[in-house]
Amino acid sequence: MKEELPAGATKHLKTLALKAGATVVGVADAAAFDAHAPEKHRPADLLPGARTVVVVGGAQPRAGDWIAASPWLLSTMGTTERIQGVGRRVAQAIESELGYYALFVPPGTASGDTPFLSLMLAAELAGLGARSLAGPVLNRAHGFLYWSAVITTAPFEVDPPEGAPACPAPACQDMWEREGTTPCLRVCPVDAGGCLGGQLENGRAIRTSYDAGRCHTRVHTHWVGGFQKVLEETLNEPDRERRKMLVYGDFMTRTLWAITYSSTNIAQCFECMRVCPAAHGLREMR
Amino acid sequence: MSLTETVKAVGLAAGARVVGVAAAEAFRAGVPEGYRPEDILPGARSVVVAGGDGPTAGAWRCPDHRVMEITGYDLRENVAVHAMSDYIERELGYYAVQAPSLPVHGHEPPMSMMHAAELAGLGSRSFAAHIILNPEYGLLYYAALITTLPLDPSPPLAEPVCPHPGCVAMYRRIGTTPCLRVCPACLSGTVKDARIETSTYDREKCHSRAQTYGIGSFQKALLAIVNEDDAGRRREMIHSEFFTRSVQSLGFFRDSIAQCFECMRVCPVGRKHRKLK
Repeated sequence: MKEELPAGATKHLKTLALKAGATVVGVADAAAFDAHAPEKHRPADLLPGARTVVVVGGAQPRAGDWIAASPWLLSTMGTTERIQGVGRRVAQAIESELGYYALFVPPGTASGDTPFLSLMLAAELAGLGARSLAGPVLNRAHGFLYWSAVITTAPFEVDPPEGAPACPAPACQDMWEREGTTPCLRVCPVDAGGCLGGQLENGRAIRTSYDAGRCHTRVHTHWVGGFQKVLEETLNEPDRERRKMLVYGDFMTRTLWAITYSSTNIAQCFECMRVCPAAHGLREMR
Repeated sequence: MSLTETVKAVGLAAGARVVGVAAAEAFRAGVPEGYRPEDILPGARSVVVAGGDGPTAGAWRCPDHRVMEITGYDLRENVAVHAMSDYIERELGYYAVQAPSLPVHGHEPPMSMMHAAELAGLGSRSFAAHIILNPEYGLLYYAALITTLPLDPSPPLAEPVCPHPGCVAMYRRIGTTPCLRVCPACLSGTVKDARIETSTYDREKCHSRAQTYGIGSFQKALLAIVNEDDAGRRREMIHSEFFTRSVQSLGFFRDSIAQCFECMRVCPVGRKHRKLK
């Protein structure tokens, strides 16, 4: 199958993706999704004849963002949309340069909270990272990244899975031995109103739990859900003056900013990632 | 390389699929006063138009219609227009502005990008919602800049792109074309001597289908919610899939430009670029 592509096509595509702004790029076998993804959410369900999935990662908060003293910095700005632009460029390059079909996986949801294709699963299968106790897929070299994926009929060379997971980091294993918890589990414990739970054994996570519903209300405090909530409150409010306060209040205002600037304001809680030693990459900043 | 070619090269390098130039004075014949380039930028001499790609060929093949509903547009033509505007102002010292194309009254923009694309020789109107079809790529999205820089205008198209010869042959056989057949609700028209003789497009009907989720659906749903007296029912409406998707589409408008592409799906123009391995 691989001989159908010009020699070096996979390398060329990866170079193009990195040049377009990706921090990492990997390729997953489209068939590998079958064992993990439900029907209708597999590559071939979206693009008949799909053979590979090209995954790009990047656009993560910068090192300076993570150490910023203001909590509003990370909660009012984000960089995730940049990686979607890279995904689109990759899709267009596959079609115009190689002549294979390429479907940019929309970053939105098909319905409810269900994505068309799990980008986290795609990143794992493309050998770009592994799931963490905190939930996000972490890359060993760069930590927390945002993902974009392109399903294609092109038979690119597939990458092997990542050798060893970034999570739990050695520092977290030490902390577990000492205190029976890790930085992320401590900052947001599921049994004390938080979102995360888990257990380590022999340096590996043997159990994790994640309360997605609770996390969603914190991560997306100001967003579509926030708007719906405050709209309902406003319409239920009989007092005209209080209604005015709700409409012009910070919550409604920030919610509208978040919706219209969603591309630069994707989340309002990064605490589990802020404390994660594996989330910020290997490079030391001065 | 001439100045015109250099400006075009900047646009193409920034992601435009095609770039054309129209003389500002060419708009006078078909555009009412107040909507011409010089009404927006005093002293305007040229209009540079960039066309950008729509959905990929892979997206056209996707059996899940929701994919095309929420994606398909990456705004590269706008990036190209900004790159060319920056080049014209910074490197050449002439004024350049992005031509305003969002509606300001009803559906009416301050300047028509479709007309600009036609005058810049990039395409011609079609039966299909009067969408401008490029002879090479078919459906493209257009943005433009207005500048005081005098550039060489691109020649107009020698032949209209629509009707395609295949559609002319089909019209001769069965009295319709692929787009007219797929959407008789929005489109109608006749062909004579291999040219469009008459063409009718019901924009209001099309709008309600192509923009199922968007500003219009948000306004419609909001009005229904505000007018609903029952708090429980209001809650259902606010948290419904329809309202949620409408609000999402406001935020993700760049990924959610249309929910109906059927007249373009069947159009043969540019199909060679949608036929891949």
